[in-house]
Amino acid sequence: MLGIASASVLVSAAEAVSQLDAPATEGTVKAAFLYKFLSYIDWPAAAFDGPDSPLVMGVLGADQMADELADLVQGRTVGRRRVQVRKLQDRSAVSGSHLLFIGALPTERTVQAIRDAKAAGAVTVTEVPAGLALGSVINFLLVDDRVRFEISREAAEQTRVSVSSGLLGVAYRVQSGRP
Amino acid sequence: MTIIAYKGSLRRKVMFLVLASTFTALFVAAAALVAYEIVIYRNALRSDLITQANILSHASAPALAFDDRKAATANLALLRSRPDILAAALYTARGAVFATYVQDTGGKTFPLLPEPDGYVIAGDSAQLFHRVVDNSEVLGTLYLRARYQLRDRLVDYLAILLGVIGASLLITALLSRNLRSAVTDPILSVAAAAHDVIQNRDFSARVKRTTDDEVGVLVDAFNAMLVEVGGRATELETSNRNLQHEMAERRAAEAALRIADRRKDEFLATLAHELRNPLAPIANALVILRTPNVPQSVAEQARAMMERQMRQLVRLVDDLLDISRITTDRLVLKRQVAALADVIRNAVETARPVMDARRHELAVQLPDHVVHVDADPTRLAQVFSNLLNNAAKYTEPGGHILIDARLQGTDVIVEVRDDGIGIADEMLPSVFEMFVQVDTSLERSQSGLGVGLSLARRLVEMHGGKLEAHSAGLGHGSVFSVRLPVVVPERNEGAAVPALARVHGLPLYRILLVDDNVDFVTSMGALLGALGHQVRIVHDGPEALLLAADFHPQFVFLDIGLPGMDGYQVARRLRESPGTRDAILVAVTGWGQEKDRQRAKEAGFDQHLVKPVEFSTIQQLFKALAPRT
Repeated sequence: MLGIASASVLVSAAEAVSQLDAPATEGTVKAAFLYKFLSYIDWPAAAFDGPDSPLVMGVLGADQMADELADLVQGRTVGRRRVQVRKLQDRSAVSGSHLLFIGALPTERTVQAIRDAKAAGAVTVTEVPAGLALGSVINFLLVDDRVRFEISREAAEQTRVSVSSGLLGVAYRVQSGRP
Repeated sequence: MTIIAYKGSLRRKVMFLVLASTFTALFVAAAALVAYEIVIYRNALRSDLITQANILSHASAPALAFDDRKAATANLALLRSRPDILAAALYTARGAVFATYVQDTGGKTFPLLPEPDGYVIAGDSAQLFHRVVDNSEVLGTLYLRARYQLRDRLVDYLAILLGVIGASLLITALLSRNLRSAVTDPILSVAAAAHDVIQNRDFSARVKRTTDDEVGVLVDAFNAMLVEVGGRATELETSNRNLQHEMAERRAAEAALRIADRRKDEFLATLAHELRNPLAPIANALVILRTPNVPQSVAEQARAMMERQMRQLVRLVDDLLDISRITTDRLVLKRQVAALADVIRNAVETARPVMDARRHELAVQLPDHVVHVDADPTRLAQVFSNLLNNAAKYTEPGGHILIDARLQGTDVIVEVRDDGIGIADEMLPSVFEMFVQVDTSLERSQSGLGVGLSLARRLVEMHGGKLEAHSAGLGHGSVFSVRLPVVVPERNEGAAVPALARVHGLPLYRILLVDDNVDFVTSMGALLGALGHQVRIVHDGPEALLLAADFHPQFVFLDIGLPGMDGYQVARRLRESPGTRDAILVAVTGWGQEKDRQRAKEAGFDQHLVKPVEFSTIQQLFKALAPRT
């Protein structure tokens, strides 16, 4: 049984390896992380129209990232859900996304977008030095030239999602109380 | 014997049986346990490793996903709590080593490249490659290597099993040592009994039955067999003994027959001689008588010789006829109460010519008073004359012969003694056998048929007596003694003859009986006389006083009612007389009242008896009253 399972897994593994074989730029790594975050975060059932409704990733202020993500999630699913990437132009479109990546934006806009996302139940991912302080759930860091991330559990609670312990375990830093 | 040798073997066999079955059972159980243990251990190890890999890969998935080597290494480091896992490694999906864990003691580390999923046992370790998959995406590979301790475990296991088997066998041996006796002891006791029977031929041995099983049946059968065999052996022995006894009897009978046959032959030869012997002198005498002018004296001599020889012939033939009669039970005794003295006198007269011819000196001694015997006088005289003839025959001329009769208790013993050639000890038992002669070398004139003594003994035995021969040996003469019972002539019915049988060893007394009843006093006198007492009988008082003066009686039995002078007067006179002053006076009377006794006592009587007087009473009296003189 194990043998058969391994064989089928091997095929998909080879596929995965070929895709991950692209130049590991910072953007690519972040895109991959963004996609993988989906697997470690649980949204309430009310966040979806139905069991087969897609997971929507909104990208604000980082079109290159949006393109890269779109390539990455092409044909992929998380559970039974397909993954969609949306390039957002302003914060009004935040509603409908389950995860919102906020690229390089002015701080007030970022705070605005985070507030909107919280209200919409979308997990915010930022890549600014004080991302968590701004209210973001996840914030990318660069540690020793490697992409790491930090997580605010309070922000996750405010967004009404639960972050799996596995993700918390590999986070560079987990912020539990209020900053 | 071999049975002894088997004794230990049966025990050993039982022990071996028990131990072998115990060992086999334990061994099979142990083998099954070991096999089971091997399978279980392998499966357990494998599923344990797989479980461990599942947990680890699940825990390590985020670290792989987010490229967190630190977290991955920390995850693997948790294996430190599992000392049996020697090494672990995580590889990225591209096959690069991502995180590793090596136990301090572990020798080998981990492969540099991941291999396809699978579980492999190599030597003393088991290794597993496990893909880390998340969201159906291969994130990497987990490698685990664990210590494969089957051999160690097996060694431990076998040591335990060997210990258990050893202990079990030891306990079994101890138990069976005690238990086997229940099985083997009855059999061994049968074997021991069988051994005893064979060695001692003792079929009386029995084995005690102690069990109700087949061995018990065996014991019963064995005992029954012993009984049967013992019975047969005894039977055989008995019949053997009987057979031997019969054989001996038959041989003895044959020998006796041969001897009898030889005796008869000898007897016939002797008989011919004996019959022939007198005929020659008779023939000579006849010639003399026929011769004319024979002087009167010569003729007379010849006639006397003829008579003698005739008598000899007649005696011979008579003896033969008597023997024949006795042998065929045709001799009948004409018994009567006869005076012994008369019989002896007749015998002496018959034998006298022979003794005179050989100039023997004959002495005869008879009891003082008359002794009677119940006998055929002719036959008894024949006995004594045969004995006298025999004595004459074996005594040199001029020898001495004595015939002596005396009383002994209720018997009279008549002995014929001589100082002749005597009888050798070894011949004594056979002198009375027919046709036996003491000395076959004797001259013909002295020889006889050897029937005289045999005939004499037969005749004595027919009279209820005994004839025995004694001799101090050759040259010391011989004694033939005839023992006959004495009888008292029954002139009075009051005479208690049977009482005589009790008279033995009493002292003899002088006794005076005074009574006018002649019958009573005569019979009493005969009885007392037969016992050997000196008895005088008178019928009135004056006669009694007259006799007592000379006789000096020690006992006087006086009738009171005597004619003329009564018993009291006689008693007083006897007491006055010096010769009878100390005599014991016994009153014999029909009056038995106390005044009569008193009167008798006054008259000087010592004792008072009332008629009829029993003979036994008188005997008691003799015992009770001591003689005064």
